[in-house]
Amino acid sequence: MRRYDCMVSLAGLLTDELVVLSLGGSVDEWYTAAPHMRAASLFQQQLGCVTPEAFGLAVGLPHRRVVSLDTDGGLLFNLGILATLGNEQPPNLFVVVWDNERYQSIGGPPTHTASGRVDLAGIARASGVTEAHTARTVEEFAAHCAAGLAAEVPYLVVAKVSGETVPGIRRKHSDGREDKYVFVRHVEESEGIVIMGPSEHN
Amino acid sequence: MHDSAVGEVLAGLAQAGVSIACYLPDSLFKPLYPAMDAAPGLRTIRVTNEGEGAAICGGVFLSGRRAVLVMENSGLRASVEPLARMGLGAGIPVVMLMSYRGEMGENNWWAVPHGITMEPVLGALRIPYRVVRREQEIRQSIVDAYELAYSSYYHTAVALGGEIVR
Repeated sequence: MRRYDCMVSLAGLLTDELVVLSLGGSVDEWYTAAPHMRAASLFQQQLGCVTPEAFGLAVGLPHRRVVSLDTDGGLLFNLGILATLGNEQPPNLFVVVWDNERYQSIGGPPTHTASGRVDLAGIARASGVTEAHTARTVEEFAAHCAAGLAAEVPYLVVAKVSGETVPGIRRKHSDGREDKYVFVRHVEESEGIVIMGPSEHN
Repeated sequence: MHDSAVGEVLAGLAQAGVSIACYLPDSLFKPLYPAMDAAPGLRTIRVTNEGEGAAICGGVFLSGRRAVLVMENSGLRASVEPLARMGLGAGIPVVMLMSYRGEMGENNWWAVPHGITMEPVLGALRIPYRVVRREQEIRQSIVDAYELAYSSYYHTAVALGGEIVR
């Protein structure tokens, strides 16, 4: 199962959701697979922060569906967030874990999921995220996306994807600061709120 | 920590518009945590480590609401990676309120490293901070921390030490 094909499938289901995503090849793939979600996606470059940031966003905007596009390496960096989600039970958070069993952005050394013994969905369930599943085909993945986007409990799907990246996709040129501003302005406009307003005159 | 100091913290957070508090409890702030849990208008989120709390606070910032990360100053060390990535890499601010373990008067050997490392780590991350040891300065210091964090879009910190926490 290719990650890009899963992304295309997920992108077709998204309209006004907000997305937080992880580093590496998934950034450019998501940028290309979901062009209508570019401003609604916060592109991050950090292990361990993606799902916690998405959770914080979901807490702050409880009426809005938030999607976390995390990775096996990123989730393994901070498994504690699963326990926090298990206790907090955010009803509007859908977590996708792209599990390619490798640190792809640095050339592909294996993560702990490559052994076949570490089950991220199992860890999530044991942490109280009862709707935690593993998908091995695009059809399975699409079904979990539909369920996760409609769920009223935290929903997590581990997508067991291959290590290949789609060749020739468009690269994202912006850095973290520009991405933040674009995302914040999108949230401000779509929510009718001010997050980064004008300075005082004094 | 006296009830009056706890009250000043809650008043400062309310005045700063904070509605979400992430925390990993410690001993010096012991009475503060249940007080935050019980405070009207403040949602508390217990986290498994302070770095996770920092990342959650970053997400809250992006929603337009205001969060605080409350912890012992040892939690600063656990938070360095997300703080550096979010703050230096993207300009996503986190405001921290921490107890000052390891300063003059510390009587636990295990807390000595917290005092040695806190201010150099804050300096390495270029995080503006204020050490507060007088109860009457707590409230305004918290308000000031938010003013600067939301004009610089960078982290700020308030460390409570001295007789406030002992």
